[in-house]
Amino acid sequence: MFDRDIWQEIIYSIKNNKLRTFLTGFSVGWGIFILVLLLASVNGMQNGFYLQFNDDATNSIFIRSGNTTKAYGGFEANRKIQYKNDDIEYIKKSFPEDLEYISARYYANTVARYKSETGSYNIQAVQPEYQIIEKTIVTKGRYINENDINSKSKVAVIGRKVKEDLFNTEEAIGEFVEFNGLPFRVIGIFTDDGDDNAERSIYAPLSTFQGIYGNTDNIDNIALTYNPNYSLTKALAFSNRLENLFKRRYKVSPEDQSGVRVWNYAEAFSDISSFTGVLNVIGIAVGLLILIAGIVGIGNIMVFTVKERTKEIGIRKALGAEPGQIIKLVILESVFITAMSGFIGLFFAWVILAIVGPNIQSPAFANPSVDFSVVFTATVILIVAGVFAGLIPAMKAANIKPIVALRDK
Amino acid sequence: MGSNSLHVLKGINFSVKEGELVAIMGSSGSGKSTLLNILGMLDELDEGSYTLDGVPIKNLNETKAAQYRNKFLGFIFQSFNLINYKSAAENVALPLYYQKVGRKERHEKAIKYLEQVGLKQWSSHLPSELSGGQKQRVAIARAMAAEPKVLLADEPTGALDSKTSYEVMDLIQKINDAGNTILIVTHEPDIADMCKRIVHLKDGVIVEDKVVEQVRAQQYV
Repeated sequence: MFDRDIWQEIIYSIKNNKLRTFLTGFSVGWGIFILVLLLASVNGMQNGFYLQFNDDATNSIFIRSGNTTKAYGGFEANRKIQYKNDDIEYIKKSFPEDLEYISARYYANTVARYKSETGSYNIQAVQPEYQIIEKTIVTKGRYINENDINSKSKVAVIGRKVKEDLFNTEEAIGEFVEFNGLPFRVIGIFTDDGDDNAERSIYAPLSTFQGIYGNTDNIDNIALTYNPNYSLTKALAFSNRLENLFKRRYKVSPEDQSGVRVWNYAEAFSDISSFTGVLNVIGIAVGLLILIAGIVGIGNIMVFTVKERTKEIGIRKALGAEPGQIIKLVILESVFITAMSGFIGLFFAWVILAIVGPNIQSPAFANPSVDFSVVFTATVILIVAGVFAGLIPAMKAANIKPIVALRDK
Repeated sequence: MGSNSLHVLKGINFSVKEGELVAIMGSSGSGKSTLLNILGMLDELDEGSYTLDGVPIKNLNETKAAQYRNKFLGFIFQSFNLINYKSAAENVALPLYYQKVGRKERHEKAIKYLEQVGLKQWSSHLPSELSGGQKQRVAIARAMAAEPKVLLADEPTGALDSKTSYEVMDLIQKINDAGNTILIVTHEPDIADMCKRIVHLKDGVIVEDKVVEQVRAQQYV
């Protein structure tokens, strides 16, 4: 392979056909260029999606309720399903293995007031573990704890935007804010990676709000995370079990889609994965098709090269060149041209990604890049492609009869 | 080639001993080129047998034929058939390359044979920088480089003027004097007379096979 004579011949042959080699080499380089850019774009989209979803713990499940749509178990349709506090305990007892964190949610709207500033906000009355499920980052103070729940404290963790609206630059921690006339002490301020809207809300202890609003044990919905070691299939199996259990518990028809709704993050995640997977396949397919055009081009120039060198190959055979050696010569030349032009395409794609990549910041697109395995695969493809491109011309060359090639007249 | 077979040679029985210098003569169509091609393993015989240095030459696959050609035969062509982008030395070294001789040794041998044909100082020149006679001498050096059993020359002087032809014949005679077996296909009587034996072909049969008194080319040079 590292035979100086062979390389001398390859370089001679390329030198003699500079334009032709360039034009066909260009098509291979272009094919690889597009292939890499396509894959990088798909990768960028994937990164963008994951970034969007990263807001919440990726192993979370939300159990919501609604009105039934089917009559079942002696109940008429259109019955409102209302979850209660003991549903939380029930899940904890039923799935000790699967469960990681759990919290009930209770929603309320409030007009909040501090001194002369007022604003209307959503309050989510939750339990302490909700911080982990929602990945809430407390920048100052603390989150709701068990004590707050037990003593039904009137405390609140407010979003960064709420703090700005009501307190401006003043210190908020320890101050009292009025929610619908009732004073709540601010114990923490949080930020959210997701969006600004999330920072316009307020967290308060679940028990406190249940007490204020009619001393009920109603909850609006349940958020939980499952064992983070679970695979997608295991996670989906778990959420199915949850759904079945809740439907039985509330006597909802198994076919009813609206009475009990269990939403699993993993499911959405798997949808995105399969979506980007399909895009990936499309990217590879389109790239390869373009590449094939280039490879055919290489095959084409090799046929010409062989034809032009028929006589020379005949001389070589008369001097004792074996067919295998002729095949090697032609294929090596083809692989050399293919690989070289492919690497140039790869290089340009890489340069463009390096320049453009970091400057793209759109919600659905982030950090487009190709990893080493793509580069490696592309290299293998190029070499294999080069062999295939050279194969037919090489066979042709090997079959040249010296007697025909040497016919002078 | 093709499905129609044409019998060009119709019963030829002849043998060449080591050290002979044989001219094969005949007009075009007499079968002299076909005979040379068979001897050169460039073409296959359909009937009969061909034995070279005690080795029966038949049913060779391409690879085997290539190896035999490399080992047993050296070719000299009318149009020289040098590879135009390789220097004289590289051309001479080519058969050795196919014998998988190392690069350095190849070059040394090439220089040695170029020296024998009087072109040592031209070793790094490309064929395009050489005259016709020089090219043919490089081709002869190349044919000898692999130290073959037989040199086969197909109209070696066909593309040369008569003075250069005699120079080339002088070289061939000297190589023959050194003990090499050489077969020359020619239709020029003066060239044939410079050999030791003349075989006349006509319509695929040998019409005459005679040993002649060799005319030395030296005197015309």
